[in-house]
Amino acid sequence: MRVVLLIAAKDLRQRLRDRSAIVIGIVAPLVIAAVMSLAFGGVSNFHFTLGVVNADRGPIAAQLLGGLRQPELRGIITTEPVGSPAEAAAEVRSRRLQAAIVIPKGFSTSMTGTSPQSITTLTSVNNTLAGSITGSVVSSFSAQLNADRLSLATALGAGAPLDRLAALEAEASGLRIPERLVQRPVGARELKPISYYSPAMAIFFVLFVISFTSRSFFVDRDQGMIERMRAAPIRPLQILAGKALSVFVFGLASLGVVASVTTVAFGAYWGSPLAVGVLCVAVVLSVVCLTALVIGLARTQRQAEGIASAVVFGLALLGGNFVFVSSEPELLRRLSLFTPNGWAMRAFTDLSTRGGGLGTVLVPVGVIVAFSAGIGLVAAALARRAVTS
Amino acid sequence: MKSALAVAGTSLLRVSKDRRALLFLIVLPVVVILIIGATVRGFSTIRVGVVDLGSGAAGRSLVSAMEGSSNLEVQRYPTLAAATTAVSRGEAATAVVLPRGMDAALRAGRSADVAVLANQSNTTQQAAAAAVGSVVAKEGARVQAAYFASSRALGTYEADLRAAASLQRSTPQSRVLSRVVDASSQTLPEGFSYSAPTMLVLFVFVNALASGAVIIETRRLGLYERMAAAPIRRAAIVLGETLAYFLVALTQATLIVGIGALAFGVSWGNPPAAAALVILWALVGAGAGVLSGTLFRTPEQAGAIGPPVGIVLAMLGGCMWPLSIVSSFMRELGHATPQAWAVDAWTDLMSRGGTLGSIAPKLGILAAFAAGLLLLSTLRLGKVVARR
Repeated sequence: MRVVLLIAAKDLRQRLRDRSAIVIGIVAPLVIAAVMSLAFGGVSNFHFTLGVVNADRGPIAAQLLGGLRQPELRGIITTEPVGSPAEAAAEVRSRRLQAAIVIPKGFSTSMTGTSPQSITTLTSVNNTLAGSITGSVVSSFSAQLNADRLSLATALGAGAPLDRLAALEAEASGLRIPERLVQRPVGARELKPISYYSPAMAIFFVLFVISFTSRSFFVDRDQGMIERMRAAPIRPLQILAGKALSVFVFGLASLGVVASVTTVAFGAYWGSPLAVGVLCVAVVLSVVCLTALVIGLARTQRQAEGIASAVVFGLALLGGNFVFVSSEPELLRRLSLFTPNGWAMRAFTDLSTRGGGLGTVLVPVGVIVAFSAGIGLVAAALARRAVTS
Repeated sequence: MKSALAVAGTSLLRVSKDRRALLFLIVLPVVVILIIGATVRGFSTIRVGVVDLGSGAAGRSLVSAMEGSSNLEVQRYPTLAAATTAVSRGEAATAVVLPRGMDAALRAGRSADVAVLANQSNTTQQAAAAAVGSVVAKEGARVQAAYFASSRALGTYEADLRAAASLQRSTPQSRVLSRVVDASSQTLPEGFSYSAPTMLVLFVFVNALASGAVIIETRRLGLYERMAAAPIRRAAIVLGETLAYFLVALTQATLIVGIGALAFGVSWGNPPAAAALVILWALVGAGAGVLSGTLFRTPEQAGAIGPPVGIVLAMLGGCMWPLSIVSSFMRELGHATPQAWAVDAWTDLMSRGGTLGSIAPKLGILAAFAAGLLLLSTLRLGKVVARR
């Protein structure tokens, strides 16, 4: 055991002396998290100003304006009266207003006639979200108007006598569309970009440990270091265990530092500390096994660099470390579950949105450990050869 | 000049023999373009989950109306728990829960509550709920009309529902007319047309920074000393190295343009303008690459520090997300990087039909960046070569 610890300590010292390891393990993920938090800091609460050109001034226009000011929309929309359509268009173009609506003259009275007027929305290609929310709100409103008109027309079509028209009209105007949309909370915390990309970047850069550890193994071997160790009364497995331990400690330290700093400084929410800790241990375990696999597969330093790059970038791309995996198409989402980091990202997403403790990460951790065991077995067989040859 | 070409040739030969370099040069950018292109395909459609708890005919009709809506993409979930998980993970923007006995309730003149999962503070979920709301309202209009007429002994519910559906199509309705006030988009098109130019900008630069390792390797091998022993002028060595970096960057950019156009159907805009942009960007890359080769001490440093620096600059410069969604401070900060000007120029070419004339100011700024970087790298490399 002492031998293993000695080898691990020597490897760690070497790693810390080389500043690029610190950059990769700690500085880079933190800088990237900082940029993300700055970039998305202001947009987490979407709110926009909607210009309203009310040329109608009738009762139905007043209903619409009341609807726009209802409590559910207050957090999203602020309305502002504007004089004319041309003025509204100019304001939207100049981005002072994010969208506008125009209620035409005679809108209210046209609702009882045969040719109802329409509301116009003015939107910008540069603010599609404000445009789509405006469109949806106005559509819902005009849907009720159309529903009332449709009810009347259907009744007349089914043989209602014309002398009952006025009475039916009055009855129809009091109707409410019976399919009501009620909002229910998802019961989950919102996933902020910083809460997703902090673990994503931390894992991505921990994957780099595979690259520089496998590389340093072959540098050691080429310098005869492994041979000299073998001359001492040290078994090959002890050498491997020492190297693995140093990877484990470095990886865990890197994840731990990034998790703490992003939580305290950038407001990232990783989830319950115990569950996060267990998940990090599982992730680092898979990194250790993958490192052993690369060492086992490669024969030279060059080969190790090539295989490690392919493994690191392949896993990071598939697992969702670069793009938000949940918004990917179904096929890519499935592919991500073939990678340990993909399972980890899914678990981190669940922890950060739905909370929960160990129970939430039980299955992902199980899968990652099983993955690591599988890789580890293959690697052990191959890596033994790398040490003894 | 001949010796400069020879120096460039040697460096290029070394790059072409490195299989790892090939991975970063071609394979990685193409895979990233593919994945990001596939992901940003859905900016305009909203993914909505549906859970049917036994709603009957009314629910089925509502689902088919949602499926027919151009901006909704419907995905069914077997249970409420599955749908809730999907929404909290962001796999669906929202989920609609069709209640048990919905059809019977509507026929009896009662209202039916269609639940939509959305948190008050989450704007994506709110926007999705609003989009679902307009489909539900249109569908509900027919139900309202059918009950209104049939409950007054004017026809049966089924007949009135059919009549309402046909009236809804045939009679004039109050519509919502939407007018887009500005035609010129500030963002790139969706899909591969988004990922290809941004990743070109990102990878050419990152690859150049990382391949600074080649110059460091050359320094270590003492190749500059040997070159200096031969009758080669210092300027020729510097020119040759820079030329090699330029050619690698240009090759990579051209390959991405070619693969983007042929495999992903990306339209890169006005050809002379696109060519000028690619050449200038390759010059920026060459300057950055040679500079990285003179700034870092070991190849590991170039390989380790180069890519994160390149990625951060790319993030600031709008390669990872459009700068139109960030705060104005971040937008201004972003324009301190050459990346932002390159992405702006691509946006102009690909979204607004820009020409050489219209992107000339941006090309000018990129040229200034390239000149600055090349000047700096030439001075530094000159020193490195002279030191030997």
